[in-house]
Amino acid sequence: MKSNKLMIKFMERMIQLFRATCRDTGPLISEMMDHTLPLGKRLRVRFHLAICDVCGFYKKQLETVRALARKLGGEEGPTQKEAVLSENAKSKIKDSLKQLD
Amino acid sequence: MAEPLNSDLWVDQYGDMLYRYTLVRVKDPDAAEEIVQVTLLAALQAQHSFQGRSSEKSWLFGILKHKILDHFRDLKTQRTYEVTTEDGPDPLENAYLSDGHWANIPKNWDTDPLKAAENLELVEALSRCLDKLSDKLRNIFVLKEVQGLASDEICKEMKIQPTNLWVILHRARNQLRKCLETNYWDTKQ
Repeated sequence: MKSNKLMIKFMERMIQLFRATCRDTGPLISEMMDHTLPLGKRLRVRFHLAICDVCGFYKKQLETVRALARKLGGEEGPTQKEAVLSENAKSKIKDSLKQLD
Repeated sequence: MAEPLNSDLWVDQYGDMLYRYTLVRVKDPDAAEEIVQVTLLAALQAQHSFQGRSSEKSWLFGILKHKILDHFRDLKTQRTYEVTTEDGPDPLENAYLSDGHWANIPKNWDTDPLKAAENLELVEALSRCLDKLSDKLRNIFVLKEVQGLASDEICKEMKIQPTNLWVILHRARNQLRKCLETNYWDTKQ
C-alpha cells in the first residue's frame, strides 16, 4: 500500500528528528551562523536544543566568540594599544609619500 | 599635489590607528606596515577625490579595508584551503563519546554575548587565542567574523567551496571557544 509506505517514511523522519545527538548538532550550530539551514536540519537543531542544555551552552559560546571578534574588528579596536608603528617605519612611510610629490 | 607637511601629519595622526586595525587582521607586523604604507600612498594619489563627504579618518579606513582584502586575495594563490592535521583537532574527533554525547562538556559561560564584548579583558583574550590558530583558519575566520565579509564573498575571493568554508569556520570557532575557556573562564573560578 502506497499510503502505508508514505506513513512509515514519515515516521522514520520524525524519529530522526528526535534522535539527533550532540555530535550531530554541534556542526549544525556552527553552520547555522553562516547560512540558513534547510528546514529538516533546522528542526533537528531546534528539537535537540529544546532538550539539551549543554548544546545551548555551546551555542552561546560560539555566539560569544562572534561578538568578541566583531568588537575586535572595530575601527576603535580595543586591543594591542601598545602596538604602534616604529619610528623607523614611520619615517619610511613619510619618505615614500614625499616621493609622490 | 599634497603639501609634504600634510602627508607627514597623516602618518603621525593616523599611522598607529591604521596599523593596529591591520595587525588584528594580518598578524604579521611587516605585512601590516606595508599595507598601511600602500593605503596612505593610495590616499595621497586619490586626494582630489576626497570631497569631505566623510571624515578624513573614515575615508582612510575605507581605503585600508580594500588594501587588506587585496592582501588576502594575494594569499590565496600561495596556499590551499583544504584543512589538514596541521589545523588542529577535528571538532568531531574525540570531542564526543560513542553515544554522541559531549566528552568534555562545554561550560555555561552565563553571559550575554553582546555584554561579553564590552569586557575588554575578554576581547584581548580572544585576540591572543586568534594568534594561536593556524594561518589557514585564522585568515578565513578573520575575513568572516573580524572583517565581517559575507560567506559567499569569501568563497568567491578565496576560491573555496562553501562546505570547505563551514569546515574551516567550525574548526576555528571550536578552537577559539576552547582557548577562551582555558585562558579566561577557567582562571575566573
